Amino acid sequence: MSDDGPIPPKQVDRLVHEPARLAILTNLFVVENANATYVLQQTGLTWGNLASHLAKLEDAGYVKVEKSFKGKKPQTTLSLTSKGRRALIAYRERMLGVLGPVVG
Amino acid sequence: MVHTTDLRRLERDAFRKFYDDGVFDLFLGAMLGLMPLAGQVDSWSNSEVVRIAAYIVIYGGLVTLFMGWRRRLLRTRLGDFKPGPERRRKIHVVRLVLAGSVLVGLVGFAIGAVAPAADWSVTDLEFIMPIVWFVNATVVFSLMAHFLDVPRLHIHGVLFGSALLIKEWPGALWDIEVPLGVAFGAPAAVIVGIGLVKLTQFVRDHPVISATDASL
Repeated sequence: MSDDGPIPPKQVDRLVHEPARLAILTNLFVVENANATYVLQQTGLTWGNLASHLAKLEDAGYVKVEKSFKGKKPQTTLSLTSKGRRALIAYRERMLGVLGPVVG
Repeated sequence: MVHTTDLRRLERDAFRKFYDDGVFDLFLGAMLGLMPLAGQVDSWSNSEVVRIAAYIVIYGGLVTLFMGWRRRLLRTRLGDFKPGPERRRKIHVVRLVLAGSVLVGLVGFAIGAVAPAADWSVTDLEFIMPIVWFVNATVVFSLMAHFLDVPRLHIHGVLFGSALLIKEWPGALWDIEVPLGVAFGAPAAVIVGIGLVKLTQFVRDHPVISATDASL
């Protein structure tokens, strides 16, 4: 395959590719950090779904999850790590490579 | 799930949502509507200290009340976030614009103070000051609308700016006295009306997110 040729879809980062995780990552990409309520509201996920996808993203080192207390209320602050930021940018380029020949 | 892949638009829409609560509009409307109170405060006491204290209590109370309400409304329904560098830069520009607007206000105040010594007629001031006020309000609100991505602030700017025109121009041009409460109250009522509509829509479209994030 030449350098300019289409990129095989299998090279796409599946961790990012999943729609719910992609929603989480894109929403965190455009802010410095956000609390869990913000991400929940923006993505339309349930608490359970959000927790499960965040665990995967945190394990991969894409998202940083910080837990704290504001008074007596627990507060979870989420932010994209530089690795997560790079992963999303790489994913975008891969997808353009995959879809470019189709839509171009 | 992902409604758009345009990240710039995603950021703009997310940020704009935080100004769709209506409380921001109610605050602006209340600020404008209460401006005639300044004339009342002046009549309460001859002491400058008492008058300044009264202004601080009125406007400080207004800011505390509305911003507290707004923070609570937004946090329970939209959550909280720290903007990215590009948005922070825009917010910084808005702060500079507001500071510039205060400077223009002070210059206007100074002109009013030196006018008697400069032998300017009251009619000149009644004609010129509303124009300065209007231009200042429309420019400031338009810049806010642009940098905060909240288009309806253009309308608020025109309404804010029109208050002094409504008060002074009929008198300067046709000798018609418009009460201060009407001149400021009418545009303020429109802004409050917009705020109430936005607040109703916001509360309807964004229910309180009840579960805590302790489950994460």
